[in-house]
Amino acid sequence: MANLELIDLRKSYDKLEVIHGINLQVTDGEFCVLVGPSGCGKSTLLRMIAGLEAISEGSIIIDGKKVNNISAANRGLAMVFQSYALYPHMSVRQNLAFGLENLKMKKNEIEERIQQAAKLLRMEEYLKRRPGQLSGGQRQRVAIGRAIVREPSIYLFDEPLSNLDAELRVATRVELKALHERLGNTMIYVTHDQVEAMTMADKIVVLNEGLIEQVGAPLELYNKPANEFVAGFIGSPRMNFFDIDMLPESIKQLAPNHASRLGVRPEHFDLKGKIILPLKVNNVEQLGSDSFLYGKTNKGQKISIKLNNQTQIKAEDDIIASFSLENSHWFNNSGIRI
Amino acid sequence: MSAVIKFFTRTQGHNKINFVDWISYGYLILGFFIIFLPVFWLLLNSVKSQFLLQKLDTNILPMDYERVARATVFGPEGKEIFILKDLPDWVLYWNDLTEDEKLQHDQTSFLKKYNGKEYYVLRTHFGLVSNYAKELILNKKLPDWLIRYPSMFPDAKKEYEPTIFFKDLNSEEVRLLSEFLGIKPYKPNGFTSQILVSAINADTNEVEEYSVNRLNTNKATINARLISNPQGGIVKIPSEQIMVNKTLRPSWINYTDPLTNNVRGMSFNAIKCLNNSVFVTIVATIITVLINSMAAFALSKYRFNGQIIFFIIILATLMVPASVLIVGIFKMVAVTGLAGTLWGVIIPGAATPTGVFMLRQYMLTIPDELLEAARMDAASEWSIYWRIVFPLALPAIAVLGILSIIWRWNDLILPMIAVSTTKAAYTIQLCLLDFQGEYVAQEHYRLAMTVVSLIPTTLVFVFLQRYITTGIATTGMK
Ligand SMILES: Nc1ncnc2c1ncn2[C@@H]1O[C@H](COP(=O)(O)OP(=O)(O)OP(=O)(O)O)[C@@H](O)[C@H]1O
Ligand SMILES: [Mg+2]
Repeated sequence: MANLELIDLRKSYDKLEVIHGINLQVTDGEFCVLVGPSGCGKSTLLRMIAGLEAISEGSIIIDGKKVNNISAANRGLAMVFQSYALYPHMSVRQNLAFGLENLKMKKNEIEERIQQAAKLLRMEEYLKRRPGQLSGGQRQRVAIGRAIVREPSIYLFDEPLSNLDAELRVATRVELKALHERLGNTMIYVTHDQVEAMTMADKIVVLNEGLIEQVGAPLELYNKPANEFVAGFIGSPRMNFFDIDMLPESIKQLAPNHASRLGVRPEHFDLKGKIILPLKVNNVEQLGSDSFLYGKTNKGQKISIKLNNQTQIKAEDDIIASFSLENSHWFNNSGIRI
Repeated sequence: MSAVIKFFTRTQGHNKINFVDWISYGYLILGFFIIFLPVFWLLLNSVKSQFLLQKLDTNILPMDYERVARATVFGPEGKEIFILKDLPDWVLYWNDLTEDEKLQHDQTSFLKKYNGKEYYVLRTHFGLVSNYAKELILNKKLPDWLIRYPSMFPDAKKEYEPTIFFKDLNSEEVRLLSEFLGIKPYKPNGFTSQILVSAINADTNEVEEYSVNRLNTNKATINARLISNPQGGIVKIPSEQIMVNKTLRPSWINYTDPLTNNVRGMSFNAIKCLNNSVFVTIVATIITVLINSMAAFALSKYRFNGQIIFFIIILATLMVPASVLIVGIFKMVAVTGLAGTLWGVIIPGAATPTGVFMLRQYMLTIPDELLEAARMDAASEWSIYWRIVFPLALPAIAVLGILSIIWRWNDLILPMIAVSTTKAAYTIQLCLLDFQGEYVAQEHYRLAMTVVSLIPTTLVFVFLQRYITTGIATTGMK
C-alpha cells in the first residue's frame, strides 16, 4: 500500500531531454494509467519509477520517502514487462520463486505464495512447464503472477496486453481490473490504447512529448478535455476540429471571445438538432449497429459523423448535420479549451 | 541395425543411385580415409611389440611370425638338436638386448622352470655358465687357476689337468664345469631363433611344421628342419610350398606396463603425467570459463567508462602471435614463483581473448529486459550473472569449455615454459616429448601412450560435439 509522488521529474539522454518536468500524485490503491502517443516517454517514466533508469533531475517519493538513490531491488515495486521477460531456462514455478529466493524467504512461505498466485491466475497445471511451452496468454499470466507473489507496494505495467490478440486482450483487461479490485494495490499502467485507459483507470495521465497534458478521471477527460491534444487523443474516432473562419455565419455567432477552433465529437452529431452544418458525404461505412459518414463541409473542412443506427444516406449525398452547444468545445489560439 | 544401414545407404531424393550419390559417397569415404588413416596407423602400431617396431615392420596389423628356437646340445651322447617352442620374445632375442633391457627381465627364475637339455641350452643362451661355474669353484674350494683356464693359451693349458677334480663332483657339476672349461665331450650349446612355417612333407604327403632360418622367397628352395624330427637334418623345400605361420600378436604390455608403472629404467611416470594433465585441464577449463564469462558479462551488459577501450585491448591481444609471448610468460611465471608448479601452467592461459569475444557476442543476444526483470526481482548482480546470464549463455560456454579442454590437453608450449625443469609436474604432452628414454628405445611405449593421450579429446568430441555444432551455429564463431 503506497502513495507515489513525482516532483519535477526530468530525464535526459546525453544532451537530449525526453521528460520535461513531471509532477504527479498517485494515491494509495489507485489505478493510474499513463497514455500518450508512441515515443512520448511513458516507458521511460515508468522505468524511472521502477529504478531501472537513472533520474536526471527531480525526485520520486514513495510513502513520503525519497527513493531516488534506492536501487530497483530495494524499492519494493514489481514490474510486468511488455515482452514479459520470463526467464526462459526456468520453469514457471522457478520464475515465480526467483524473486522470493532473492529476498531470502523461507521455502514453505515461497511455496504458499506460489500456490496462492497460481490459484488466483488459474495456472496450477503449468507450474512445471518452461515459458517456451506456454501460449502468449499463459505467459502473460505468469508475468503478472511473478509480480503478485512479490506482494509489492506498487505494480508497474508496461503495455502488458499489447502482444495479445484482440479477444484475449479484452478478457485479460477485465481480469486485471478485477485483480486490482481484489488486491487493492496501487497500480501504474502504461498503454497507448485509449480503450484500455478508459475502461481500467481510476485516473488517466495523458502524456505528450515528455509533458503531462491532463490528469483526471476517464469521463472527466472525455467530457472536459483541457486542450485540443487531449480532446483529440481521447475518443475514437477523433473529435472533429473546425477553424472558426471556415464555419457558416450562424455558428460563428455562437463562438465565445478568443475562440479560434470548434471541436465536436463524431458521436455528438445527429440529423435533427438545432445548430446545422451542411456537408457533402464522400464515404459511408455501415457497421450494423453504427454508421460512419465521412465528408466535407462547404468550405472543404473534413468531418466524420457517427450515427448509432443504420442509414439510407449514400456517398455523394448532400445532407445537413446538426449538433448541440453543450456537446461542443471551443478552443483558443493556443489550443486551450474555453 | 537396419536404421544404420538405411542411414548409410540414403540417396538423393530418388531411390536410384545417381552420379551425385556416387560423388558424395566417394568424397565422404575419401575424406574419412584421409583423416582416419594416420589415426588407424597410430592405433595399430601402438600394439606392435618393441621388436617389430625396431625392425620397422610395415605390416598393417601387429602380425608376427611364430618363432621357435633351434637348440644344439653337446654331451656324451654326441650332438643333439631339438626345437624349443613357446618362448617369450625377450628370451628368443636375449643376445640382441641391451644391458638395460636385460636388467628388466629375470632370466634366472625363468631358467628354473626348465631342466635337462632345455635347461642346459638356456643356461648357455643366458650366458650363465661362467657365473654358475665360478660359484661352483668357490663353493667347492677348487683352485683359482680353474677360473683362468678357459682364457689360457693352449701351451699353458697343457700344464694343468682339470679333470682330476671331477671325481669329487656329481654329474651335473661335472657337466657345468666341463662346459665352462671346454672339455670334451662338452661344448658351448647352440641356440638360434627360427621362423615356424608349414609345408607338405614329401615323404608322408602331410602338412607338417618346419623351422627355417630365414624366409627368402627369392630363392627357389629353402632349407628347413622338420619340427617333429629335428635330428633328421635339413631338407630343401620349394619356396612356393611354404606356408608362413603368422599370428596376430598385439602387444598389450605397451599399454599395461607404463600404466601400471611397471617399466624399469623408464624416465618418467605415465600415471603421474596423466594425472597432471587431467588436473590442469579440468581446473584450467573451470577457471577459463568463469573468468571469461564474467568478463564477457561485464563487457556486454554494463555501461562503463572505457568500455570500448577495454574491448579493443582484449581483441588486440588476439592479434599477437602466441610465440611472441613466450619470453614474457616465462619471466612472469618465474617472478611469481609459479615455475615448476601446475598453477604456472594453469594461470597464464586462463583468460583467452577468443573466449571473451565469443561469449560477449553471445551474451549481447540475451535481452536486457531479462536482467531488468531480475533486478526488479531483487537479484544481486552476482545472482544475475550466475542464475540468469550464465545458464542462458550455456551453449556458448559449452563451446568455450570444449575448446578449452582440447587446448589445454594438447598444449605443449605452456608446460614447456612453466614446468620443463620439474619432472613431477610434467603433463602428458611433455612426457611424450621426453619419452625417448635415457638408455632404452621406448618407441612402443610412446606410441601406446600417445594413443592414451588421444582418448580424452576423442571422448569430448564424441559426447559434446552436439554442443559444438549448435554453439558454433549460434555464436557464428569457430
Ligand atoms: N536509451 C535511450 N537513449 C536515447 N533516447 C532514448 C532512449 N530510450 C528512449 N529514448 C527516447 O525517449 C523517448 C521516450 O521513449 P519511451 O520508450 O519512453 O517511449 P514510449 O512512450 O514508451 O513509446 P511506446 O509507446 O512506443 O513504447 C523516445 O523519443 C525515445 O527515442
Ligand atoms: Mg514503451
